[in-house]
Amino acid sequence: MRKVFAIARKEFSSCFHSWLGVMMSVLVLLVSGVFFVILVLNYAKISMNPQQYGLSNFSGINQTQFIFGSFFINISIMLLFLVPILTMRSFAEEKRGETLELMFTYPLSDFEIVAGKQLGIVWFFEILLLPLLGYIVIYRWIGGEIDWGPVLLGYLGFWLLGNAYLAAGVFISSLTKSPMVSAIGTFSLLLVFWIFDWVEGISSGVWAHIFTELSPLAHYRNFTIGILDVQDLVYFGFFFFYFLFLTLRSIETRNWKS
Amino acid sequence: MNNSHSDVLIKFEKVSKKYGAFHALRDVSFEVKAGEIVGFLGPNGAGKTTAMRIISGFFPPTSGRVLIRGIDIAKHPHKAKRALGYLPETVSLYPDMKVIEYLRFVAKLKGVPGHELTDHVRGKMSFCGLLGVGHRLIGRLSKGYRQRVGLAQALMADPSVLILDEPTTGLDPTQIKEIRELVHALGQNRAVILSTHILPEVSTLCSRVMMINQGQILASGTVKELASCLKDREAIHLRLKDRRDQDHALKLLGAMPGVENLNCAEEVKGETFISFETSPEEDLRPLITKLFVEQGISLVEIQRQQLSLEDIFLGLLKDGKLGRRF
Repeated sequence: MRKVFAIARKEFSSCFHSWLGVMMSVLVLLVSGVFFVILVLNYAKISMNPQQYGLSNFSGINQTQFIFGSFFINISIMLLFLVPILTMRSFAEEKRGETLELMFTYPLSDFEIVAGKQLGIVWFFEILLLPLLGYIVIYRWIGGEIDWGPVLLGYLGFWLLGNAYLAAGVFISSLTKSPMVSAIGTFSLLLVFWIFDWVEGISSGVWAHIFTELSPLAHYRNFTIGILDVQDLVYFGFFFFYFLFLTLRSIETRNWKS
Repeated sequence: MNNSHSDVLIKFEKVSKKYGAFHALRDVSFEVKAGEIVGFLGPNGAGKTTAMRIISGFFPPTSGRVLIRGIDIAKHPHKAKRALGYLPETVSLYPDMKVIEYLRFVAKLKGVPGHELTDHVRGKMSFCGLLGVGHRLIGRLSKGYRQRVGLAQALMADPSVLILDEPTTGLDPTQIKEIRELVHALGQNRAVILSTHILPEVSTLCSRVMMINQGQILASGTVKELASCLKDREAIHLRLKDRRDQDHALKLLGAMPGVENLNCAEEVKGETFISFETSPEEDLRPLITKLFVEQGISLVEIQRQQLSLEDIFLGLLKDGKLGRRF
């Protein structure tokens, strides 16, 4: 376990060695800030004159749901861009720099290497998430009434979705020697998962149902409206460990090339 | 572990490695004992790096077994790798890490216990002369220093087996000398394998030499054995004034008993050079001079030269054998 943490720490701190960490933090704060402000202003506008927006009774609108529910849906778009950049260097750069080769000569199991790398990136992602908690404070400060359940579930869902995407990104990174290819590949993969969510809108039947069940976004949506379903937890757990397992296999393939 | 085998640290048993149809190693077997520095010598693509990567557990051999301190690296990689230090050909390090940060990282991965970590890392840094650059970024170091960082990471956790893949390439002469001294000091109680294509390095550094080409060991022996072998071969170089005499001279020499590997080098300013190998017991020079004078060939220079390691190596590469195997 100590070795896993050593790798995770190295991976984590390497995010701060370049401008990458700073740029990512700026991106996350900027994008989420813009979304939050727009939602709050929108809410304020509607609350002034609900009739104009076709609402007879304003009390029917759930404040938390209107602002935080939409906020979490909106910032999940950010992950499509954030995750490929966070994971592109993970294995690809080590393969290119041949530092991975050296790591294989140490008394480490492949699992320790993969787990350490995944954990380091997850830590960094969590650091990026921390400032998002600030929106609760701001919300309270401007006089919002908070419904804790859905908001906390929203954060949990975002964390789960992010972790699942990161595992997929690390896997793509383990397939190539080029961080660029890794970033583009991860983006494409996440985009495909994203599109799964549209299938139900354009068709119906068994296939539409299957695609919806496979879509991370459909499962994530439950969290944002305050539903905690074991199915969704299992889905994200499976998603994460499945890609972790694929990464492990992809690292092991060096033994098969004979 | 059997006592009589306890000092055999590296053992290759009929190891082969194939990349697709290409045979990188064929049935290679050898042993390295503690206190030995073995030099792998061979041209590029001979299989040196492949052999080293197999020892270091980077990938398994296609067939055969590799034992490190009696432990099969394919079966117990974790245990076997604990005794191993590897310096790759291109010293690949994380450019954005500080030297000390990197070495502490490696020490942890190699399982140096927490309470010893600081002293251990410091000890290795001082051995490799890195104390002054501990807080510099690896990417900003010169090639020589990076090589030392590479060596320091190989030495972490005091491995009894050291694998150094071309440790002196790309260094300037002073750095080469320093690295050689470090390796020499390390070889006292460890098994060291180093690969190189610099021949003098082998004779100054290694207690045993293994010549490898096309995945096979062509020759293996201590430097002493090689030297004794060198004594029974020598080369004679001739210089003729007139190029037109060349064919005639070659015919005469070819008919002479004890002449091997007859060679004709390019002509310079109308002069031509001929060289051949022979045994040192019989000095052919008086015979040749007499014969050439009789035949009217204008011989301007005749020289006897001991074969160097280089000649043996080249001879081995050319036909895979030379006089006797050593």
